[in-house]
Amino acid sequence: MNSKYVVRVIKYAILQLVVAIFIILWLTPLYAMLVGGFKSNMEAASAPILLLPKQFSTEAYYFDWFGFGTLIGLEFPMIRQLLITIPVALASVVFGSMGAYFFYIQMERRPWVSNIGFSIISLATFLPAQTLTVPLIALTSSIGIYQTYWGLAFAYFIFYLPTSALLMSIFLPVVPNYLIESARLDGARDWSIFWHVIFPLVLPGFLSTLIFVFLMVWQDFFTPLIIATKPSLYMLPVAARQYVGGYAILYNRSFAAGVITSLVPLIIFAFLGRYFIRGLAALGGGAKGI
Amino acid sequence: MTYKINDGIAFGILGPSGHGKTTLLRLIAGLEIPTDGYVYFDDELMSGPGRIIVEPERRNVAMVFQNWALYPNMTVYDNIAFPLKMAKMSRHEIDRRVREIAEELELTRVLNHYPKELSGGQMQRTALARALVKNPRILLLDEPFSNLDAALRDSARALVRRIQRERKLTTIIVSHDPADIFSITDVAGVIINGKFVQIGSPADIYNTPATTIIATLSGDINLLSAKVVENTALIANLRIPLGKGLINDNEVIIGLRPDEMKLLMEPQDIRGFIDIGKVRVKVSSYTLGVFRIVVSPISDENINIIVVSDEFIEPGREAHLLIKPDKIKIFNKEEKLIYPELKNLITAL
Repeated sequence: MNSKYVVRVIKYAILQLVVAIFIILWLTPLYAMLVGGFKSNMEAASAPILLLPKQFSTEAYYFDWFGFGTLIGLEFPMIRQLLITIPVALASVVFGSMGAYFFYIQMERRPWVSNIGFSIISLATFLPAQTLTVPLIALTSSIGIYQTYWGLAFAYFIFYLPTSALLMSIFLPVVPNYLIESARLDGARDWSIFWHVIFPLVLPGFLSTLIFVFLMVWQDFFTPLIIATKPSLYMLPVAARQYVGGYAILYNRSFAAGVITSLVPLIIFAFLGRYFIRGLAALGGGAKGI
Repeated sequence: MTYKINDGIAFGILGPSGHGKTTLLRLIAGLEIPTDGYVYFDDELMSGPGRIIVEPERRNVAMVFQNWALYPNMTVYDNIAFPLKMAKMSRHEIDRRVREIAEELELTRVLNHYPKELSGGQMQRTALARALVKNPRILLLDEPFSNLDAALRDSARALVRRIQRERKLTTIIVSHDPADIFSITDVAGVIINGKFVQIGSPADIYNTPATTIIATLSGDINLLSAKVVENTALIANLRIPLGKGLINDNEVIIGLRPDEMKLLMEPQDIRGFIDIGKVRVKVSSYTLGVFRIVVSPISDENINIIVVSDEFIEPGREAHLLIKPDKIKIFNKEEKLIYPELKNLITAL
């Protein structure tokens, strides 16, 4: 009895230790980035990376935020990023959910429609974005939205719509089929079924997908790199890239740019992380998690 | 086969699970596409082979699902109002109708509750209210009482029966429980392997089941193999006299319902019964207000006969088994009822 207890305590302690090690490993770069941004350039380049700054300085943040000379400050890219990412993520996930619902209800009546649909969605999701560089530029140019916000939104949308649909199609089966049938017998058409019955029930999954897609769009470097190359259209990841140094690396400014760029994802994870987890948990427990 | 269900009738479908009862209901509702055959409402074609002609949402059919399929994200009020909202009714009219039906089904107090906060009976009544509120052409009930406590079932059945009769609502009810069918329906059909094998009044099905399977489905029954010797059916030491020359088979299956027999300690003449021999009591148990006694013929311990009794009888005792000769069911070896000669089968009395 007693020895069992000891074994349990030891097991628990080992587990905790492993978790602690992982947390430290994951947080170390974040910590280095945070403290590095508050160092002077000289100190950031010479002192050990994990030490706290001797002289606390906000110079690097000021420099990054407002820009200097030919370097574009991150202020406007940040606003741009928010103004484009939020509606694009929302639209992708809403339309993606609708698409997933369509394929879900086709599963029974016309299985081939949903099989082919899912294959296309998967293909679109897992196809490396780089392979679409030339067609995407050609397409946006031909409809006159290359180098515009619309072009950017369009590109994000077509990249992340299939991702959203695929993710939502994992969450949708949480809604039992008989509820859809019941709604149909109650006289509801698909539009009403989706908004009145499906959507409220997959809300946790919807939020998870929304958060995920938002973060994906936020950290997407490649799409804005090829679609919005004019400095006046710089998106945050592209703008932050300037501070990694063209001619010389200014470590404190790179760190500060990193912090500014990851600010929004960090806030989202801190405040909405539980919704993200809840959506995933709803998957495991069937409809009970809702 | 073609079968027509008349307006205003309560039609029951009985059958073992997995034999197509629910599928038939779903075909009528339009949730299932027929591989072959047609579904008509009045003279309007609803479904044909391989296609749905009128979508389920346009059929004005209401269905109460086995698990009630209440929308968990809506209150009772919103659940009941949902079909009316879909019909684009005015808010005022919706409110009037929801409150009216809630009043009738005693749901007024729980209108603001969510389904998970309801008792089984309230959930069932909510599902019924949601089905009735739009005045459907047909009401379909799929095992509507199987998820209820036994104590609630009778009141629920009475409620459905009253509503069906008052509104003259064409109702189709599917169940594996004969009590549901007997308590509600005017006409019942038995489905086995996807086919109707007998259609008639519930009493007909109970009294003259066409096969032993139907006999078992429509209520408790003892099915006993018997040898026919000189116009008498022999089950071990039990002797059932049969009409002269009416049964030509050498072996038959005798069907005796537990409620159509009696056990007596001393031989005694009771009107309408005949004594068929002595049996020994094996087990006495008590369910639903009656004693269920399992007895065996004195000469064969392996034959079990269940008899309903109004008093406890100690196991081990011997008793006389009496049966109602006009209720006895005789099946041939192929398990089909020997009918219509049945009524003339018995000579005694």
